[in-house]
Amino acid sequence: MSGEEEENAAELKLGEEFLKAKCLMNCEVALILDRKYEQLQQMSDDPMNQISQVFEKSLQYVKRFSRYKNPDAVRQVREILSRNKLAEFELCVLGNLCPETVEEALAMVPSLKSKGRNHDDDAIEKMLHDLSLIKKFE
Amino acid sequence: MFFHMVLERNMQLHPRHFGPHLRDKLVAKLMKDVEGTCSGRHGFVVAITGVDSIGKGLIRDGTGFVTFPVKYQCVVFRPFKGEILEAVVTMVNKMGFFAEAGPVQIFVSNHLIPDDMEFQSGDMPNYITSDGSVKIQKDSEVRLKIIGTRVDATEIFCIGTIKDDFLGVINEPGAAA
Repeated sequence: MSGEEEENAAELKLGEEFLKAKCLMNCEVALILDRKYEQLQQMSDDPMNQISQVFEKSLQYVKRFSRYKNPDAVRQVREILSRNKLAEFELCVLGNLCPETVEEALAMVPSLKSKGRNHDDDAIEKMLHDLSLIKKFE
Repeated sequence: MFFHMVLERNMQLHPRHFGPHLRDKLVAKLMKDVEGTCSGRHGFVVAITGVDSIGKGLIRDGTGFVTFPVKYQCVVFRPFKGEILEAVVTMVNKMGFFAEAGPVQIFVSNHLIPDDMEFQSGDMPNYITSDGSVKIQKDSEVRLKIIGTRVDATEIFCIGTIKDDFLGVINEPGAAA
Protein backbone atom coordinates (compact mmCIF):
# COMPACT_ATOMS: atom_id res chain seq x y z
CA MET A 1 0.00 0.00 0.00
CA SER A 2 1.59 3.27 -1.06
CA GLY A 3 -0.21 5.27 1.64
CA GLU A 4 1.66 3.33 4.27
CA GLU A 5 5.03 4.46 2.93
CA GLU A 6 4.09 8.11 2.99
CA GLU A 7 2.97 8.12 6.59
CA ASN A 8 4.87 10.53 8.83
CA ALA A 9 3.42 12.11 11.93
CA ALA A 10 6.12 14.79 12.04
CA GLU A 11 4.74 16.22 8.79
CA LEU A 12 1.14 15.46 9.74
CA LYS A 13 0.84 12.76 7.11
CA LEU A 14 -1.58 10.42 8.78
CA GLY A 15 -3.75 9.34 5.92
CA GLU A 16 -7.10 10.86 5.12
CA GLU A 17 -9.11 8.76 7.52
CA PHE A 18 -7.09 9.70 10.57
CA LEU A 19 -6.82 13.38 9.65
CA LYS A 20 -10.58 13.60 9.73
CA ALA A 21 -10.94 11.54 12.90
CA LYS A 22 -10.95 13.19 16.27
CA CYS A 23 -7.75 12.71 18.24
CA LEU A 24 -7.96 12.06 21.94
CA MET A 25 -5.48 13.07 24.60
CA ASN A 26 -4.47 10.41 27.12
CA CYS A 27 -6.43 12.17 29.85
CA GLU A 28 -9.59 12.13 27.72
CA VAL A 29 -9.16 8.46 26.96
CA ALA A 30 -8.76 7.83 30.69
CA LEU A 31 -12.13 9.49 31.35
CA ILE A 32 -13.87 7.49 28.62
CA LEU A 33 -12.39 4.13 29.58
CA ASP A 34 -12.95 4.68 33.28
CA ARG A 35 -16.61 5.34 32.66
CA LYS A 36 -16.92 2.29 30.45
CA TYR A 37 -15.16 0.18 33.07
CA GLU A 38 -17.66 1.32 35.71
CA GLN A 39 -20.55 0.42 33.43
CA LEU A 40 -19.15 -3.04 32.90
CA GLN A 41 -18.69 -3.44 36.61
CA GLN A 42 -22.34 -2.69 37.22
CA MET A 43 -23.44 -5.20 34.62
CA SER A 44 -21.50 -8.14 35.96
CA ASP A 45 -19.74 -9.14 39.15
CA ASP A 46 -16.54 -10.04 37.48
CA PRO A 47 -15.72 -7.33 34.95
CA MET A 48 -12.25 -8.71 34.26
CA ASN A 49 -13.90 -11.56 32.40
CA GLN A 50 -15.39 -9.28 29.80
CA ILE A 51 -12.48 -6.99 29.31
CA SER A 52 -10.04 -7.47 26.49
CA GLN A 53 -6.34 -7.27 27.08
CA VAL A 54 -6.18 -4.28 24.79
CA PHE A 55 -8.69 -2.43 26.96
CA GLU A 56 -6.88 -3.29 30.16
CA LYS A 57 -3.48 -2.28 28.85
CA SER A 58 -4.82 0.95 27.40
CA LEU A 59 -6.51 1.87 30.66
CA GLN A 60 -3.34 1.25 32.65
CA TYR A 61 -1.31 3.22 30.16
CA VAL A 62 -3.54 6.30 30.03
CA LYS A 63 -3.87 6.35 33.80
CA ARG A 64 -0.12 6.28 34.17
CA PHE A 65 0.47 9.01 31.61
CA SER A 66 -2.47 11.35 32.15
CA ARG A 67 -1.22 14.83 32.92
CA TYR A 68 -4.60 16.07 34.06
CA LYS A 69 -6.93 14.04 36.23
CA ASN A 70 -9.82 16.39 36.74
CA PRO A 71 -12.46 16.51 33.95
CA ASP A 72 -12.72 20.31 34.11
CA ALA A 73 -8.98 20.69 33.66
CA VAL A 74 -9.10 18.33 30.68
CA ARG A 75 -11.79 20.47 29.07
CA GLN A 76 -9.77 23.65 29.69
CA VAL A 77 -6.65 22.16 28.15
CA ARG A 78 -8.49 21.34 24.97
CA GLU A 79 -10.04 24.80 24.92
CA ILE A 80 -6.70 26.58 25.28
CA LEU A 81 -4.98 24.45 22.70
CA SER A 82 -7.81 24.72 20.20
CA ARG A 83 -7.57 28.53 20.31
CA ASN A 84 -4.21 28.25 18.56
CA LYS A 85 -5.30 26.84 15.21
CA LEU A 86 -3.58 23.54 15.76
CA ALA A 87 -4.34 20.35 13.92
CA GLU A 88 -6.06 17.74 16.08
CA PHE A 89 -2.96 15.59 16.13
CA GLU A 90 -0.66 18.46 17.19
CA LEU A 91 -3.09 19.47 19.89
CA CYS A 92 -3.05 16.01 21.42
CA VAL A 93 0.72 15.57 21.25
CA LEU A 94 1.14 18.86 23.15
CA GLY A 95 -1.55 17.90 25.64
CA ASN A 96 0.04 14.49 26.22
CA LEU A 97 3.67 15.49 26.53
CA CYS A 98 3.31 18.96 28.09
CA PRO A 99 6.60 20.39 26.82
CA GLU A 100 8.04 23.12 29.02
CA THR A 101 9.99 25.21 26.54
CA VAL A 102 9.36 26.44 23.01
CA GLU A 103 12.36 24.49 21.81
CA GLU A 104 10.99 21.30 23.31
CA ALA A 105 7.54 21.92 21.86
CA LEU A 106 9.03 22.33 18.38
CA ALA A 107 11.05 19.13 18.77
CA MET A 108 7.88 17.25 19.77
CA VAL A 109 5.71 18.81 17.06
CA PRO A 110 7.95 19.81 14.15
CA SER A 111 4.93 20.58 11.98
CA LEU A 112 4.30 23.72 14.08
CA LYS A 113 7.04 25.44 12.13
CA SER A 114 6.18 24.14 8.69
CA LYS A 115 5.68 26.80 6.09
CA GLY A 116 2.43 28.66 5.76
CA ARG A 117 1.72 28.58 9.48
CA ASN A 118 2.14 31.62 11.63
CA HIS A 119 3.11 30.24 14.99
CA ASP A 120 5.82 32.52 16.32
CA ASP A 121 7.77 31.61 19.41
CA ASP A 122 5.87 34.07 21.61
CA ALA A 123 2.51 32.53 20.76
CA ILE A 124 3.82 29.05 21.49
CA GLU A 125 5.36 30.19 24.74
CA LYS A 126 2.11 31.78 25.87
CA MET A 127 0.25 28.57 25.06
CA LEU A 128 2.71 26.45 27.07
CA HIS A 129 2.51 28.90 29.94
CA ASP A 130 -1.30 28.68 29.98
CA LEU A 131 -1.07 24.89 30.07
CA SER A 132 1.32 24.88 33.00
CA LEU A 133 -1.06 27.18 34.88
CA ILE A 134 -3.90 24.68 34.53
CA LYS A 135 -1.64 21.96 35.87
CA LYS A 136 -0.66 24.12 38.81
CA PHE A 137 -4.21 25.01 39.83
CA GLU A 138 -5.83 21.70 39.12
CA MET B 1 -2.18 8.29 19.50
CA PHE B 2 -5.74 7.52 20.48
CA PHE B 3 -8.50 8.48 18.06
CA HIS B 4 -12.25 8.57 18.22
CA MET B 5 -13.69 7.49 14.92
CA VAL B 6 -16.71 6.03 13.18
CA LEU B 7 -16.27 2.61 11.63
CA GLU B 8 -18.59 0.32 9.75
CA ARG B 9 -18.98 -3.42 9.90
CA ASN B 10 -21.31 -6.02 8.48
CA MET B 11 -22.63 -8.15 11.28
CA GLN B 12 -24.10 -11.60 10.73
CA LEU B 13 -26.77 -12.62 13.17
CA HIS B 14 -28.32 -16.04 13.71
CA PRO B 15 -32.12 -16.10 13.30
CA ARG B 16 -32.61 -17.39 16.86
CA HIS B 17 -31.80 -13.86 18.09
CA PHE B 18 -34.62 -12.22 16.15
CA GLY B 19 -37.16 -10.73 18.49
CA PRO B 20 -37.69 -7.68 20.66
CA HIS B 21 -34.05 -7.64 21.79
CA LEU B 22 -32.52 -7.85 18.35
CA ARG B 23 -30.70 -4.55 18.67
CA ASP B 24 -29.22 -5.40 22.08
CA LYS B 25 -28.04 -8.74 20.80
CA LEU B 26 -26.45 -7.10 17.80
CA VAL B 27 -24.63 -4.52 19.90
CA ALA B 28 -23.42 -7.14 22.38
CA LYS B 29 -22.09 -9.26 19.53
CA LEU B 30 -20.41 -6.25 17.97
CA MET B 31 -18.56 -5.49 21.19
CA LYS B 32 -17.51 -9.09 21.59
CA ASP B 33 -16.30 -9.33 18.00
CA VAL B 34 -14.57 -6.00 17.63
CA GLU B 35 -13.18 -4.81 20.97
CA GLY B 36 -9.61 -5.83 21.45
CA THR B 37 -8.98 -6.59 17.80
CA CYS B 38 -6.28 -5.00 15.71
CA SER B 39 -6.09 -4.17 12.04
CA GLY B 40 -3.26 -2.61 10.15
CA ARG B 41 -5.48 0.12 8.84
CA HIS B 42 -7.19 1.34 11.99
CA GLY B 43 -4.96 0.02 14.73
CA PHE B 44 -6.26 -1.44 17.96
CA VAL B 45 -9.96 -1.08 18.73
CA VAL B 46 -9.93 -0.28 22.43
CA ALA B 47 -13.58 0.34 23.21
CA ILE B 48 -16.89 0.93 21.44
CA THR B 49 -18.51 4.10 22.72
CA GLY B 50 -21.73 4.12 20.77
CA VAL B 51 -23.70 2.72 17.85
CA ASP B 52 -24.74 5.31 15.28
CA SER B 53 -26.98 3.33 13.02
CA ILE B 54 -28.00 -0.17 12.10
CA GLY B 55 -28.99 -0.56 8.50
CA LYS B 56 -31.55 -2.85 6.92
CA GLY B 57 -30.76 -6.52 7.32
CA LEU B 58 -30.23 -8.75 4.34
CA ILE B 59 -31.17 -12.42 4.52
CA ARG B 60 -28.43 -14.69 3.21
CA ASP B 61 -29.60 -17.27 0.75
CA GLY B 62 -29.62 -20.78 2.09
CA THR B 63 -28.55 -20.13 5.68
CA GLY B 64 -31.13 -17.84 7.20
CA PHE B 65 -28.42 -15.67 8.69
CA VAL B 66 -29.05 -11.96 8.33
CA THR B 67 -26.34 -9.40 7.62
CA PHE B 68 -26.73 -5.94 9.16
CA PRO B 69 -24.48 -3.02 8.25
CA VAL B 70 -23.62 -1.35 11.58
CA LYS B 71 -21.99 2.06 12.05
CA TYR B 72 -20.34 2.49 15.41
CA GLN B 73 -18.10 4.95 17.24
CA CYS B 74 -15.02 3.64 18.91
CA VAL B 75 -11.76 4.59 20.53
CA VAL B 76 -8.81 3.23 18.57
CA PHE B 77 -5.09 3.31 19.25
CA ARG B 78 -2.89 3.68 16.20
CA PRO B 79 0.86 4.36 16.32
CA PHE B 80 2.33 6.49 13.56
CA LYS B 81 5.81 6.76 12.18
CA GLY B 82 7.36 9.99 13.47
CA GLU B 83 5.05 10.16 16.47
CA ILE B 84 6.56 10.94 19.86
CA LEU B 85 5.00 9.24 22.85
CA GLU B 86 5.68 7.99 26.33
CA ALA B 87 6.06 4.32 27.13
CA VAL B 88 6.92 1.94 29.96
CA VAL B 89 10.00 -0.27 29.65
CA THR B 90 9.08 -3.95 29.94
CA MET B 91 12.31 -5.76 29.14
CA VAL B 92 15.98 -4.84 28.80
CA ASN B 93 18.66 -6.95 27.13
CA LYS B 94 21.92 -6.43 25.29
CA MET B 95 20.17 -5.93 21.95
CA GLY B 96 18.17 -3.00 23.29
CA PHE B 97 14.92 -2.70 25.21
CA PHE B 98 11.20 -3.29 24.76
CA ALA B 99 8.63 -0.76 25.89
CA GLU B 100 4.85 -0.72 25.92
CA ALA B 101 2.55 2.17 25.11
CA GLY B 102 -0.95 0.90 25.75
CA PRO B 103 -1.53 -2.17 23.60
CA VAL B 104 1.47 -1.65 21.34
CA GLN B 105 4.99 -2.99 21.79
CA ILE B 106 7.96 -0.86 20.81
CA PHE B 107 11.52 -2.08 20.43
CA VAL B 108 14.44 0.32 20.82
CA SER B 109 17.67 -1.22 19.51
CA ASN B 110 20.97 -0.43 21.23
CA HIS B 111 22.02 1.50 18.10
CA LEU B 112 19.19 3.91 18.84
CA ILE B 113 20.12 4.43 22.47
CA PRO B 114 22.55 7.33 23.05
CA ASP B 115 26.19 6.24 22.69
CA ASP B 116 27.12 7.26 26.23
CA MET B 117 24.76 4.66 27.71
CA GLU B 118 26.27 1.25 28.41
CA PHE B 119 24.54 -2.07 28.90
CA GLN B 120 24.91 -3.67 32.33
CA SER B 121 23.81 -7.23 32.89
CA GLY B 122 22.74 -8.70 36.22
CA ASP B 123 19.42 -9.58 37.77
CA MET B 124 18.16 -6.11 36.85
CA PRO B 125 19.70 -5.54 33.41
CA ASN B 126 19.88 -1.86 32.47
CA TYR B 127 21.42 0.84 30.31
CA ILE B 128 23.32 3.42 32.30
CA THR B 129 25.40 6.52 31.58
CA SER B 130 29.05 6.46 32.67
CA ASP B 131 28.37 8.88 35.52
CA GLY B 132 25.36 6.85 36.63
CA SER B 133 22.94 9.77 36.45
CA VAL B 134 20.56 8.22 33.92
CA LYS B 135 19.44 4.63 33.98
CA ILE B 136 16.97 2.66 31.89
CA GLN B 137 15.61 -0.53 33.44
CA LYS B 138 12.36 -2.43 33.65
CA ASP B 139 9.46 -0.12 34.63
CA SER B 140 11.31 3.07 33.65
CA GLU B 141 9.18 5.59 31.82
CA VAL B 142 10.71 6.77 28.58
CA ARG B 143 9.75 9.25 25.91
CA LEU B 144 10.54 7.87 22.48
CA LYS B 145 9.98 8.49 18.81
CA ILE B 146 8.52 5.83 16.55
CA ILE B 147 10.64 5.41 13.43
CA GLY B 148 9.05 2.37 11.91
CA THR B 149 5.95 0.20 12.18
CA ARG B 150 5.33 -3.36 11.13
CA VAL B 151 1.82 -4.53 10.71
CA ASP B 152 0.62 -8.09 10.57
CA ALA B 153 -2.90 -9.46 10.75
CA THR B 154 -3.41 -9.21 14.47
CA GLU B 155 -0.61 -7.06 15.80
CA ILE B 156 1.24 -3.84 15.24
CA PHE B 157 4.86 -3.72 16.21
CA CYS B 158 7.01 -0.59 16.34
CA ILE B 159 10.65 0.35 16.27
CA GLY B 160 11.56 3.43 18.29
CA THR B 161 14.52 5.65 19.06
CA ILE B 162 15.59 7.68 22.08
CA LYS B 163 18.60 9.17 20.30
CA ASP B 164 17.25 12.64 19.67
CA ASP B 165 16.64 15.89 21.51
CA PHE B 166 14.19 15.76 24.41
CA LEU B 167 13.86 11.98 24.26
CA GLY B 168 14.84 9.44 26.90
CA VAL B 169 14.01 8.60 30.49
CA ILE B 170 11.27 10.64 32.13
CA ASN B 171 11.44 9.04 35.55
CA GLU B 172 13.01 6.01 37.10
CA PRO B 173 11.11 3.47 39.14
CA GLY B 174 11.60 4.13 42.80
CA ALA B 175 13.09 7.56 42.12
CA ALA B 176 10.23 9.26 43.94
CA ALA B 177 10.74 7.21 47.09
